[in-house]
Amino acid sequence: MTDTERTTGTSDGDLLLEVDDVVKHFPVRSNTLLNRTSAQVRAVDGVSFSLKVSETLGLVGESGCGKSTLARLVTALHPVTSGHIRFKGQDVTTLSRRQMRPLRRSVQMVFQDPYGSLNPRRRVGSILADPFLVHDSLSRSEVKKQVQALMARVGLSPEHYNRFPSEFSGGQRQRIGIARALALRPDLIVCDEPVSALDVSIQAQIINLLEDLQDEFMLTYIFIAHDLSVVRHVSDRIAVMYLGKLVETGPVEEIYSASRHPYTASLLSAVPVAATAFHGPRKKRIILTGDVPSPVRPPSGCRFHPRCPKAQAKCAVEEPVLEQKPGDTPGHLTACHFPVTADEPLAAASREEPPAAAQPTLAEGAQR
Amino acid sequence: MSLIRADLGIDAVAEQEPDANRPDTEFVGRTPRQLAWARLRRDRVAMASLCFIVFLALVAIFAPLLTALIGHGPNTEYSNTGLSLSGIPVAPGHNGFLLGTDDQGRDVLSRIIYGARVSLEVGVGATALALGVGLVVGLVAGYYGGWIDAILARFMDILLSFPILLFALAIIARFGPSLDLVLIVIAMFSWPYIGRLVRGQVISLREREFVEAARALGSSDLRIMFVEIAPNLVALAVIYATLLIPVNIVLEATLSFLGLGVLPPTASWGNMIAEAQTGDLFTVAWWFLVFPCVALVLTTLAFNLLGDGLRDALDPRHGRSNITPPTKAQKGRARLRRKATRAGARADA
Repeated sequence: MTDTERTTGTSDGDLLLEVDDVVKHFPVRSNTLLNRTSAQVRAVDGVSFSLKVSETLGLVGESGCGKSTLARLVTALHPVTSGHIRFKGQDVTTLSRRQMRPLRRSVQMVFQDPYGSLNPRRRVGSILADPFLVHDSLSRSEVKKQVQALMARVGLSPEHYNRFPSEFSGGQRQRIGIARALALRPDLIVCDEPVSALDVSIQAQIINLLEDLQDEFMLTYIFIAHDLSVVRHVSDRIAVMYLGKLVETGPVEEIYSASRHPYTASLLSAVPVAATAFHGPRKKRIILTGDVPSPVRPPSGCRFHPRCPKAQAKCAVEEPVLEQKPGDTPGHLTACHFPVTADEPLAAASREEPPAAAQPTLAEGAQR
Repeated sequence: MSLIRADLGIDAVAEQEPDANRPDTEFVGRTPRQLAWARLRRDRVAMASLCFIVFLALVAIFAPLLTALIGHGPNTEYSNTGLSLSGIPVAPGHNGFLLGTDDQGRDVLSRIIYGARVSLEVGVGATALALGVGLVVGLVAGYYGGWIDAILARFMDILLSFPILLFALAIIARFGPSLDLVLIVIAMFSWPYIGRLVRGQVISLREREFVEAARALGSSDLRIMFVEIAPNLVALAVIYATLLIPVNIVLEATLSFLGLGVLPPTASWGNMIAEAQTGDLFTVAWWFLVFPCVALVLTTLAFNLLGDGLRDALDPRHGRSNITPPTKAQKGRARLRRKATRAGARADA
């Protein structure tokens, strides 16, 4: 179909998406009538990364760090405040609504909440027909055929065409959401926590489905998640966000085995591991103190410094640049003045550790 | 057999809701509408009201046929059979007048039947018009927000703050009374109720993920408003339209009572009541005052009770619909409005 035509211009390894210093500030309005802006929520504050065709980028970070906002900037659901997003070399931040239409076709999104992302008053067949009705002029019977093929592809039975979303389970609904995103054979699918609302057993099914579809249709994913083990499983590269900025990005195995940013290290140390004798002594947890600061008034210098176990005077003054640190492979970038070295006892530097049973893990705490 | 199974299914669903998302439960394909209908059918008061309203609608539709069967036209003055020698109206049940006659010897039953036509036409027609305008304005205001919303919302507030009756009187006095004008004037003052309600609902609906998903697909604003959001407003619109109909029926009766609605000799419940009150003949012949009042009260009561029943049936706390339940304040307002309706009906009587 058309997807082959569309991907011929970009051979494997080509850049599909370039995000260049993208900023999104939401004004906090104190007076709606006079439009008086009293403050800015700096949801995304200067983020750059790029994506190759059929690559998966895992985007991790705590709640409120701007992951979902970034996802909505990439899918052009929100306009950017500044910066550029280039899709296949074309700057999409300046496009008008009409010019955006081809982009809508090739960039799609899978939403977090399979209950909220499907209109409860519309039948599944009609929801899935939308992409065809909006973009193509197909006959009614042709649309129905396409929709049923789509349903079959994501593992739903096509006879359920006339059902309402409330008649499906959470996992089935997420399949509907994926089918909708897949309908127009996009190049890039942004998955905004596609499995965090699902049962663990269902999570695996959905992730496998996403991986199969990636192979079949040469899809590129931006995969947002709280669950670090899920991200590790699906991603080729990882980007870690903290308070609207990328703090570290790189190949998945390197991030997991040799993270350089203290925030990444603490995030990873919070992943629950089945502690058996076989695995050797459990890695020390790095417990961060305090809450994530408000994105309305982020800390000076490095945004992580008030909670960082390694923070020094320089961190509060000078903002670190996202750059390659000595000894890392190219593509592994860290924004830190004092990157973590291998086997550095970070946990010792962190303040006293509460009893293990009562520890709220970062990942859990972030999972709402 | 299928009937029996369906009945059992309804009971089971009504009891097991709202947690329908248990895994491994295969659901009998039941649409939200079917669920609501099942709930409504269990509500005896609402079903009785619905039956009454259907009966009334049939009576209104077949009014000429019915009056032909009765043998008395609505505007014919039966000076021989309908009035006694001293000019007193005939009592109910005499001379073939089931509900008696009025002071001019006209059949009260026939006039009430024709009055139902006027009441329903104005009540339903004005409400339908108000619903259409309110839905569109509410959708636009709520969806776009910003300046558009500010202007439309203020406009609705201004209309709602008008003394309706006084203003209606002024307009009708200027253009001369007619059924169409009454209908339009009533619609003009009742659409902001719907509009405001819809606007509030749309403001919360437009933030939902399915709207975002539609936007990500490239759906147009019109498509999002009418294909995505509007179906989620149906329950709300149905409930409030049902509650608005009796208000508008009473308003029409009030205008007719004041001589600014339907012009005599055409029968309307309002002008029947007004005419009956002009003399003091009703002290001896109570029927031609009481029966139109009874018709008016029963009709408004039926619509109000049906509206209540519909609200219960379409209530989100039972199904997983997304209309937020009415707040305490809203419920209080609705109760007040219903009270006012009944009080108004009584006052007219």
